[in-house]
Amino acid sequence: MALLQAIDVTKRFGGLTAVNKMNFELKKGEIVSVIGPNGAGKTTFFNTLTGLYRPEEGKILFNGTSLIGLRPDQIAARGIARTFQNIRLFGNMSVIENVLVGMHFHLKQNMVSAILRFDSFKKEELEAEACAYELIKYVGIDTSLSNELAKNLPYGGQRRVEIARALAADPQLLLLDEPAAGMNPQETEEVTNLFRRIRDEKEITILLIEHDMRVVMRISERISVMDYGEKIAEGSPAQIRSNSHVIEAYLGRGAVAGQHEEMVK
Amino acid sequence: MKRFSETINVRELLRPIGQMIAFSLGGGAVLSLVVVLLALLLDQTAVGQNLQARYSVSLVTYTLANLPQVLIDGLTIGFVYAAIALGYTMVYGVLEFINFAHSEIFAVGAFVGVEILIALKNAGILSAASLGVAYLILLLALLAGMTASGFLAVAVERIAYRPLRGAPRLVPLISAIGVSFFLQDIIRLVESLTTGQFNRIIPTFGNFDERLIFGQLPLGATTVVLGVQIKSLIVILVAVIMLVGLNYLVNATKIGKAIRAVAQDRPTASLMGIDVNRIISITFLIGGTLGGAAGVLYALKFTRIDPFVGFFPGLKAFTAAVLGGIGNLTGALLGGIVLGLLETFAGAFMSAFTMGAAGAEYKDIFAFGILILVLIFRPNGLMGENVSQKA
Amino acid sequence: MFSKEKFQDFLAKLNTGYTPYVLILVHIMIGAIWVYSSPRSNVAFVVFISSLLTLYGLNTNKIFKLSAGLILALVVMPVLGVRNIFYLEIMFQISVFAALSLGLNIVIGFAGLLDLGYVAFYAVGAYLWGFFGSQQFYAIPYAPGIQPSDLPFLLPGDMFYLFIFIAIIVAALTGILLGLPVLRLRGDYLAIVTLGFGEVIRVLANNLDKPWNLTNGPQGITPVQRPTMPQFAVDGFNNFFGGIIGHTVSKADVYNVFFYLLALLVIVTIIQVVSRLNDSKIGRAWTAIREDETAAIAMGIPLVQMKLAAFATGASFAGAMGVLMAASRTFVSPESFSFMQSIGVLTMVILGGTGSIPGVILGAATVTVLNLQILQGFSLYLSQLRQSDAVIPIINFAWKNLSTQLDPAKYQRLLFGAILILMMIFRPAGLIPAARRQRELAADDEE
Ligand SMILES: Nc1ncnc2c1ncn2[C@@H]1O[C@H](COP(=O)(O)OP(=O)(O)OP(=O)(O)O)[C@@H](O)[C@H]1O
Ligand SMILES: [Mg+2]
Repeated sequence: MALLQAIDVTKRFGGLTAVNKMNFELKKGEIVSVIGPNGAGKTTFFNTLTGLYRPEEGKILFNGTSLIGLRPDQIAARGIARTFQNIRLFGNMSVIENVLVGMHFHLKQNMVSAILRFDSFKKEELEAEACAYELIKYVGIDTSLSNELAKNLPYGGQRRVEIARALAADPQLLLLDEPAAGMNPQETEEVTNLFRRIRDEKEITILLIEHDMRVVMRISERISVMDYGEKIAEGSPAQIRSNSHVIEAYLGRGAVAGQHEEMVK
Repeated sequence: MKRFSETINVRELLRPIGQMIAFSLGGGAVLSLVVVLLALLLDQTAVGQNLQARYSVSLVTYTLANLPQVLIDGLTIGFVYAAIALGYTMVYGVLEFINFAHSEIFAVGAFVGVEILIALKNAGILSAASLGVAYLILLLALLAGMTASGFLAVAVERIAYRPLRGAPRLVPLISAIGVSFFLQDIIRLVESLTTGQFNRIIPTFGNFDERLIFGQLPLGATTVVLGVQIKSLIVILVAVIMLVGLNYLVNATKIGKAIRAVAQDRPTASLMGIDVNRIISITFLIGGTLGGAAGVLYALKFTRIDPFVGFFPGLKAFTAAVLGGIGNLTGALLGGIVLGLLETFAGAFMSAFTMGAAGAEYKDIFAFGILILVLIFRPNGLMGENVSQKA
Repeated sequence: MFSKEKFQDFLAKLNTGYTPYVLILVHIMIGAIWVYSSPRSNVAFVVFISSLLTLYGLNTNKIFKLSAGLILALVVMPVLGVRNIFYLEIMFQISVFAALSLGLNIVIGFAGLLDLGYVAFYAVGAYLWGFFGSQQFYAIPYAPGIQPSDLPFLLPGDMFYLFIFIAIIVAALTGILLGLPVLRLRGDYLAIVTLGFGEVIRVLANNLDKPWNLTNGPQGITPVQRPTMPQFAVDGFNNFFGGIIGHTVSKADVYNVFFYLLALLVIVTIIQVVSRLNDSKIGRAWTAIREDETAAIAMGIPLVQMKLAAFATGASFAGAMGVLMAASRTFVSPESFSFMQSIGVLTMVILGGTGSIPGVILGAATVTVLNLQILQGFSLYLSQLRQSDAVIPIINFAWKNLSTQLDPAKYQRLLFGAILILMMIFRPAGLIPAARRQRELAADDEE
């Protein structure tokens, strides 16, 4: 059974149809990329999957149950965690606290136990802290930065904290929105390996949006291409590389038009 | 004629007038219908008997007898709210920020207007003024109030809001609350130091307090005099002229276009060569000017002002802006008129319909009830469009 | 030469070794002796209570801080306070406002929700005990002013203690009831709606004297009972402190000490509760919501539920303090719950530092002292000038002619407004900005 299934999902903003009859499937353990030109609707698609937007039409099934109508926090609790295209960390919280926030719905403590500091509370906090600390290490952040405010980290570091925060939710599915944007080649290389490790070691299915084709081609088992809100192609990296629709979508506009026509021939 | 319509966009002049008439008539008719129906329904019940016992009139007669005056009062205050609401809505449209101090901009306008009139009275000019001069003097007071409020609004923006642009949302709002409180006491301080008191009463002059009588309506044992106070007419007329002028300014001039551009998308407007700071100042100037005029009109209508006079009208005008759909000029008009009518109706009839348990003393919080209901069921207001957050 | 670095070096030196201990003790001694010898001097009092700041700020060990603080609060302050009961009153007010500020701080500082009607919850607590702890229940059929004076009390005064807890629950429930419909709103709308709610509560308090007289209208409810004070407590206090105070302390004054201590106890409890909550998943969720709602909800934080929790917690503190206030004043009236009071509490939070526990306490203390001492002192000074023949030189203005309307004690709005504007522009994080907890990270040692 598919882990995630989107059927005819449509999301409109007034007159603009940002996602149009999107059909999409994801199997457990896959790493799949969504690519497409700017404004193609990739982020909007993610937002409908995570409940930030409610699609006008279509169904979204996760492990066979519908996600439509659930709040984002409920969807997160079902096992979908994400990062954001324009990093959305809690800037005035420390790195480790950001990660701890990711564990929110796994922690059993409540107001009473927090105020009265039961042993169970203390134990849970210590375990959570240790676990957060491990995650910080795991995504490749120098652990001495744990107490640093998130906003003070360099760009690449912030991207990693966001990934650690998402991992802290212990998800089955991880959605990454342009996780390598703004990284230098070495960092890009590192996070690409990190994604593979996340999938292999933690058995988390990964769906990522990425513009950097080196990442996409190296890591994806399958690629889905969006343009104008629609899925225009899907297949293995090799198939996508040679798909004329895709090349058209990417290169068919603007200055490089002539050049690409030759490529197609 | 053709040339004229080329330079002046007649449609933009007529459209808001049509809207105002529609809103006033529509709102008035609906509410009148509701109370009359209620009166008919409850006439024979305990509610009707209670009223009979208290005032020895039937509920229906009572309702019908009060209706004309309630409508006029509702519209008068409604137009004042609309004029203030425009100040909130314009600033919100451009900066996405509730100018909490707008109520004090309004109060300052009222004080400047009233102080000028008092000065003229003390100089003996008011009592000697012929009718024509009286109207000129009122105009002068209005203009003075508008000027003072307009410039104050610009100054407040420069000092207390501009340095905070780009800060988290609540930061300028808190600053605006500070300005509001600060100005209240500044008014009080200045008035105390210069005049020794801070409750001021607008002098009576001209024929503003007289009533124009249209006719009489026999209604069982009582006769209802159909009339309207001249000052109510003035308030409505001045407000209408200003609202039409503003609508024209925003929708049919170059400056208006720039304002709308900044409201739509500030960075892009700035890239297009629009001086955003100047446009924001102009927005505050316009909003402040309208607020100042509303202040003088308010003083004319309700005669007594104090430094805290802006609080309730300000909040209600904000409610009106939200009710209409904040950021939307027509919405502010609609909201103001509807709220003014609703509130006046509630103030006038609630006591009768609740057998005296609750009456006009709840008038001031009535607006909040509406605000909460609107925000829960239609957070974008009656005319607002949906804006969702970008993730 | 004088330089900034040298000055900082000097400050650092003052803050190491034994020097801070000496400084603190000297500060406390000077303050205490000064207040003791001239109990009417405002300056002396400010010097005295600012020693709490030195105690808090300077670098000493915890046990010293704690014991010095305890002695100051439990011994020195009551003794000095009984010599000039006005100081005890100020300390009581500071405690009350500190509690309110800490409550509002949860809502604004932690969860980032601007609540402009916060004193409504305070009113709920005050009126709760005001109603049940007075004769009002039997006065329901009578309009204000015409009820017989010999009506019985509904409950014994000692129920006061129970009502502190009831008020916590009732205020929290009120917070949830208000919060449910409005917490989905955007921040600035929420501010206006809460303002409206505050006004609604005040108007209700003003007008619910009919059709049934529940609140006694604008006149307010009085007398509201206090818990009983056994004679042995009064005697004990006199035996213990009578000598050093210098006169026999009346029962009324012992009551003042009692309420001061009770307020202190509530404050300490609140501080504990707030800091523990802040350092749990609940506090982290609040801060996350404040920082970025979208990210928070995407990380699985139920927004409305957590906001409600913040609202209810903040409200419950105000409710408890309301009961305390009603009993200590033996009087409740709508006036105490105006919009200005809400802004006053907001000012304390903003001045001290949103989200910072020591900050908001400092804010509460500063604003209360400014309000009760500086503004009122200024008023007194002006009225003295008015009675004198003094003239302002140069402009030749006789103080006598100064309008009697000009009474600085009434210019709280000016004070609050100026503080809010200046803080937002120059120091939005407040006097003592909030600091995130530094974790020891036990896991670090593994490697
Ligand atoms: N909240 C919104 N309101 C209105 N329009 C929106 C909103 N969010 C996205 N859009 C529009 O929907 C379309 C798709 O946007 P989306 O952000 O999903 O694109 P994308 O594929 O993620 O592009 P990019 O590669 O630039 O991130 C765009 O035209 C965008 O302007
Ligand atoms: Mg995107």
